[in-house]
Amino acid sequence: MTSMTSRDSAQKPKLLESRRVLTLILLAAFIWSLLNLDWTSGFIHSGGISAMGEFASALFSLDLSTDTLTTAISASWTTVAYAVAGLTLALLIGIPLGAIGSGVLTKSSWVKVSSTGVTRFTLAFFRSIHELVWAWLFVAAIGLSPIAAVLALAIPYGGILGRIYAELLQDVPEAPLQSLRSTGASEWRVFWYGRLPMALPDMLSYTFYRLECGIRSAAIMSFVGLGGLGHELRIALDDLAYQQVWTYLLFLIGLVVIVDVWSTMVRRRLSE
Amino acid sequence: MTTIEGTSRPTATRFTWPRVTFIRFSMITMMVLIAASWVFVLNADGAQSHSIFSMHTVNRFKDFLSDLLGIGSSSTPAFAQWSEWRLTGHLAYQTLAMSVLAIGFAAIFALTFFMFGARNMMMGDMAPYSSWFWRAVFFLVRGLFVVTRAIPELIWAMLIIFVLSPGLLPGAVALGLHNAGILGKLSSEIVEGLDQRPIQALRSTGAGRFQVMVYGVLPQALPRFVTYLFYRWEVIIRTAIVVGFVSAGVLGTEFRLSMSYFHFTTVALLLIWYLILVLSVDITASYLRRLAR
Amino acid sequence: MALLKNRDQETLYSSASCAVELTGVSKQYGQKEAVAPLSLSIDPGERVAFLGPSGGGKTTLLRLLSGQLETSTGTIMLCHRDLTTMPTGHEVSQLVGMIHQQFDLVPNLSALQNALAGQLGEWSLLKSLVSLVWPLNRGIGLSALARVGVEGIAYQRAGSLSGGEQQRVAIARLLVQDPQVILADEPVSSLDPARAGEVLQLLVGIAEEAGKTLVASMHSVELAREHFSRLIGLRNGVVIFDSPSHEVTEDMLHDLYDLQGLRAEA
Repeated sequence: MTSMTSRDSAQKPKLLESRRVLTLILLAAFIWSLLNLDWTSGFIHSGGISAMGEFASALFSLDLSTDTLTTAISASWTTVAYAVAGLTLALLIGIPLGAIGSGVLTKSSWVKVSSTGVTRFTLAFFRSIHELVWAWLFVAAIGLSPIAAVLALAIPYGGILGRIYAELLQDVPEAPLQSLRSTGASEWRVFWYGRLPMALPDMLSYTFYRLECGIRSAAIMSFVGLGGLGHELRIALDDLAYQQVWTYLLFLIGLVVIVDVWSTMVRRRLSE
Repeated sequence: MTTIEGTSRPTATRFTWPRVTFIRFSMITMMVLIAASWVFVLNADGAQSHSIFSMHTVNRFKDFLSDLLGIGSSSTPAFAQWSEWRLTGHLAYQTLAMSVLAIGFAAIFALTFFMFGARNMMMGDMAPYSSWFWRAVFFLVRGLFVVTRAIPELIWAMLIIFVLSPGLLPGAVALGLHNAGILGKLSSEIVEGLDQRPIQALRSTGAGRFQVMVYGVLPQALPRFVTYLFYRWEVIIRTAIVVGFVSAGVLGTEFRLSMSYFHFTTVALLLIWYLILVLSVDITASYLRRLAR
Repeated sequence: MALLKNRDQETLYSSASCAVELTGVSKQYGQKEAVAPLSLSIDPGERVAFLGPSGGGKTTLLRLLSGQLETSTGTIMLCHRDLTTMPTGHEVSQLVGMIHQQFDLVPNLSALQNALAGQLGEWSLLKSLVSLVWPLNRGIGLSALARVGVEGIAYQRAGSLSGGEQQRVAIARLLVQDPQVILADEPVSSLDPARAGEVLQLLVGIAEEAGKTLVASMHSVELAREHFSRLIGLRNGVVIFDSPSHEVTEDMLHDLYDLQGLRAEA
């Protein structure tokens, strides 16, 4: 029986293998974060446990009065409207910027580098700031208006969509595009008739996923007073009306689940 | 003639809606929604929205920008004072700690439950002693993921602040809970996509269900899990400022206070720190991600 | 039959072995009959190979023998014990172990960890967890790897090994598991001819040394003839022939693999 390998004795296991280093770093980081907690004062609010109990039991005596239900439904609609409007604006931002940022529209080098660089940077800047921060800034700038909510949602989402679109457009396989070019089509036509249609299913799929996130983002926009489920939730919480809080929470969860299921079904069909 | 050698049970035929009709239906619904939403947004509160597109708004916007930059104000802007930098820098540091704590919580939660949320582990081949119990566990775990995920971080924070005293912890728990559902679902999907053959081979060595999970599934799932971990951390650092609105001792807290006192130059300083944090986390995450390969 | 002891004086494998008895065993999937009712008897220590065209029932039969699949009819006895009555996977694994064509190993773990997996049935959950980071009971794993000739790559990721090395590690795992009956589902079909011969030689050699019953499904007739004492031809779930390998004629093989006949039967 011959040995398969030339080394006759087993190699020693590498101690400083990169994965072990990573695990150590992660563990150390977590412990460091724990140390930053204020361990001297108690973690639980005095009366916190009883509040939790009260809150939990309020689920069983849900507030289903007509008043609450109407508010819930109208707040849900506000949330959905903000999300949809915001997302459509995000598309207007994301598609052009994503197309330019992907670098597939330009050929010559310095134009390409500068245009992709600038757009990529803009997209990154847009999506660095959380939508609620944008919302607060817009409210401070132009006042309490639905447009503020829509803009605050559109900018970061536009940034996210743009980045993903850029990647999807880049990832389109070259072969079909080459055959298009060989028929004498201009670069612009290659994009419209070749690249974009091929990337479109994935783009749509991701956009639908973002819609679900948008619902949640729109819900919390109301923190700055812009109306919607989050706004109603905050009012109910301030009043300690736990049953109402549950109603709004359930509406929110229901809304998210509905959009999630719908978006999953659409995405599955798109990828078939 | 199809060979069925190696399969354990025939696949049932699934009813699916005719593909074209469903997509078309969805598109039409979307169009209607879009139109209705814009009508609503532009007409809410009477004609107020129309006045947005006016010079008045542009001037307000300009005023706001100059306030942020401290132009035309008598006092020194916050971002020109070293002491302010140090104070807010400490808050940024705390925010970073909170984000790490949050992703840690989320990871622990996800690692504990993700195998119970994987369809192929809980039902079917992997469960020769399959019982209603494990099916129930599966649905419970998946339901847990859905609920924790559906509630936005800020709302979690608003609820948690009733129970936990202000500080880093409520924000971290709120962020952690929301992301636990997301990470959990993503991790379960990793498991569902794994090659079944090594796992089945392990079963034939007499390993129990849990041992197979630990020895066969976990090592294969970890690399991609770590990728998702870093991706969520990048999202968490951006949301950490928002959660701070209801928490204490972090960037968001100061942001809220400064906004309410109209200390706009402090707001600008806080935004700068915020961007520094986001950039640093993005860079760190992309570097650490490479270590996982 | 000699027992093999390694340098730590841990017993590598015992020499006991089992008889395999099938009585009226069949397997049906809906309308399709993967394995027609058959009865078979294999003596302890015998080396048997199933031959036949793909889809003919070889893999199904092996999976029935390993307990992975339940029979539609009939009983399987291993060591005079009814396979279906054994409650835990652990008990079954002590009687029968299986090696597949490929993808048997966990690619992210080292060869050593994969080999040690043969003992998972005897380990507690905690021990399994710890072994992910720091393999316990190394000795027996290293000895098994040495026996199959790959101790040099013990700490390498299984996913980075060649096909031949991977199969050897899978055999090492079988050694660690130490079942009475070894099943092999086309163990060398993914290897090039030179490696295939070597690995098969190794497998058969180990089975012979320990006196274990070996039941394999084979793609290559030449290799089967060379290493197995008894050949059974399966086609569409029916046994076409069952005889000692030196008595198998070209005509019998022709009948077994007759393509035209297959198409007609489809």
